[in-house]
Amino acid sequence: MNWKRIRSCLLGAAAAAGLLGAAASMAPAQAKTYKIYLSLSYSGNAWQSEAANIVKALAATPPYDKMVDLKEVISGTDVQAQISAYESMIAAGADGIISFPVSPTGLNRTIHRGCAKGVLFFMYDATVTEPCAYNVSYITAGFGENTAQALVNELGGKGKIFLSRGVPGNSVDKRHTEGAMYIFKKYPGIHIVDEYYGMWSDQTTQEETAKALAAHPDVDGIWAQAGEDGAIKALLATGRQKLIPVTGENSNGFRLALANPEYQKRGLQGVSSGSPPATAGYAFKLMMEMLVDHRKLPTHNIQYPLPWVPASAVKLCPGDRFENGCNTFPEGKVPDSFVTEVFEPTLVPEISLQSALEGKPTPGATIQKLPATVDAAPDTPGINCQHCKPPKDLYRLTKVQPTVQP
Amino acid sequence: MNPSEVKERLDAARTIPPAAEDASGRAPDPRGARQAGLHGDLWTAIALFSLTAVLILASRWISPSFGGLAQAKAILVLSSFIAVTAFGQQMVILTGGLDLSIASVMTMGGVLTFGWIGASGPALIWGIPLVLVLTAAIGALNGIGVVLLRVPPFIMTLAMGIIVYGAALGFTGGTPRGQPSPALSALFTGHVLGVPPVILLIAVFAALGTLLQLGTAFGRRLYAVGTNPAAAYIAGLPVRRLTLLAYAISGGSSGLAGILMVGYAGGATLTMGQGYQLPSIAAAVVGGTSILGGSGLYLGAVGGALLLTTFSTIISALGIAEGWRTILYGAVILLALLLLRDELYAWIGRAVTRPILPPDASARRNA
Repeated sequence: MNWKRIRSCLLGAAAAAGLLGAAASMAPAQAKTYKIYLSLSYSGNAWQSEAANIVKALAATPPYDKMVDLKEVISGTDVQAQISAYESMIAAGADGIISFPVSPTGLNRTIHRGCAKGVLFFMYDATVTEPCAYNVSYITAGFGENTAQALVNELGGKGKIFLSRGVPGNSVDKRHTEGAMYIFKKYPGIHIVDEYYGMWSDQTTQEETAKALAAHPDVDGIWAQAGEDGAIKALLATGRQKLIPVTGENSNGFRLALANPEYQKRGLQGVSSGSPPATAGYAFKLMMEMLVDHRKLPTHNIQYPLPWVPASAVKLCPGDRFENGCNTFPEGKVPDSFVTEVFEPTLVPEISLQSALEGKPTPGATIQKLPATVDAAPDTPGINCQHCKPPKDLYRLTKVQPTVQP
Repeated sequence: MNPSEVKERLDAARTIPPAAEDASGRAPDPRGARQAGLHGDLWTAIALFSLTAVLILASRWISPSFGGLAQAKAILVLSSFIAVTAFGQQMVILTGGLDLSIASVMTMGGVLTFGWIGASGPALIWGIPLVLVLTAAIGALNGIGVVLLRVPPFIMTLAMGIIVYGAALGFTGGTPRGQPSPALSALFTGHVLGVPPVILLIAVFAALGTLLQLGTAFGRRLYAVGTNPAAAYIAGLPVRRLTLLAYAISGGSSGLAGILMVGYAGGATLTMGQGYQLPSIAAAVVGGTSILGGSGLYLGAVGGALLLTTFSTIISALGIAEGWRTILYGAVILLALLLLRDELYAWIGRAVTRPILPPDASARRNA
């Protein structure tokens, strides 16, 4: 399959759709309000509440503030609970449901029924395999393989490493780890000496990393999913002088550590990548453009660009936005666990730090139109499609190239 | 005490079936039971500490880096949260209750600490007592529900846990905000006498906790309440106030665990207490606390916390799949409970102290 050709095809289709959309939006403003439901699996970690806050802030930003009737439902990590939440939303006559789904397959039947009743389903970050739903996610963008290659490069192709994984059995953890293993397996000099589940929580990751460090103090690097700030804290808590390369996701604490000159001198290197809460805002705006402007999307699986911030690119923001290429907040402005990727200048320029932390609209901001094109996500079985074949180059490196050969 | 009150107390005593006491296998004389139980409890603690030390040394064949001071330090630090939550849990279990609100109260303590104290040094002086008082007040509410409203402890504390979690969610809006406290972090990263200060703190805490149980009237009365509430009531003990205090202590110790966790993790999350509910019970029970109430020593619970943490550290180094790890951990807890029964400790106690035992103890041995 030719990636470029698909991309240019989509580009054309999307451009046409965009024109149609623009024409539609010129129609006189209608007084219709849209019933939108925000269905969360659980609240309680920084990522989930930031993502939800972004949706809430956008729904309160003009002109959507007058058009959207947004209701939030938190149903917990139980599939059954989210199914019944969806059922009630469909019964209540929802125009659209924007959701973080707890299971890629368990919700399919309910979603299918909702689609048949004309409900739009937009999933952010986590995905479902039901074809009528729209998935907006970075998951297929290659977090695992790219960070693994970055770590291998830092280690010069050999060394003992830990895998700090997410939640056991979760499809996202599986996709990330498979991508990473695709790279690590190429290098016989890379030895995985411990593999543990940090549950995407800083605190659990810190405790698990501390245990692993007690058994393997001679580890050379850590490949981590979300929770990486805990891995850093566990490393620092050992009191060791020599630090090691760590790759992880987007917590502010991790980025601050990467940029810390003293830690760098002691050997901390790495890259911050992974799941951006801004995806929720992008998904919400796409859904609203479909509802309001009758925008047509050329695909149901939309890929969100993978954030990629190596240690050398960490730049502190003086204000409340990502401006002039800054991507991290100074210490004390936000908690270490704050997930920095809440801004995206082209997709969600309406968002400020205030929106992400409190769900309030940015004063003076109005909703800006999205670009006319979307990136199609590659078919990934169990992630965004049920009976499909992944492209041969699923684990193609996009952010980093090997600097060492196996 | 006026005659009608005595009659009331006697009536209350009659509602307790006499068989209940025999089933628990305790000697009828509460003071005698306490003396004999104390020896057992001390041996429990000693056996758990020794077992932990042996395990740490033996774990060398699992990983060559194990068996050293670094591993012991890591285990001591990681076990501190379980050890602190187990104190309150044990106090409540001693009265015959159970505290299922530990996880939520710990989270609340952490969230408040993170939000209120922040990076400020002076805030520690009023902040820590305030957080402790508030979490103890939550515990006292549990106690009021159990004692005055007669809600079963299981239900009362479960409901309170849900309410407190909801309050923490509402207070934070989903994202706990604040700043890490350098002073609290120093408990884990600093060095006093070559170890992180938190280890010394836990040692002092364990000593004070044990002293509270054995050396104060409050502690000894609590055992009496747990052994037989009706008898304690007739004996004129303020059963309700004692029980209420035990729940308040549990709230406060959960709050302290939350404060420590903020120092360790440098932040607070709404799930920070989740992993400590069951370990707090397991540590107390592995540490020789009778789930029926009335017997157990905090030193034993600390030993239980150390043993459980040692197991989980060793299991995590085995390099086996997550499912098997969890199964193994569960099996180990069950095995520990089966093996480390009172009989074993009594046997160890008898074997070691045979020459100096008073004659009535040898009579018990033959019984």
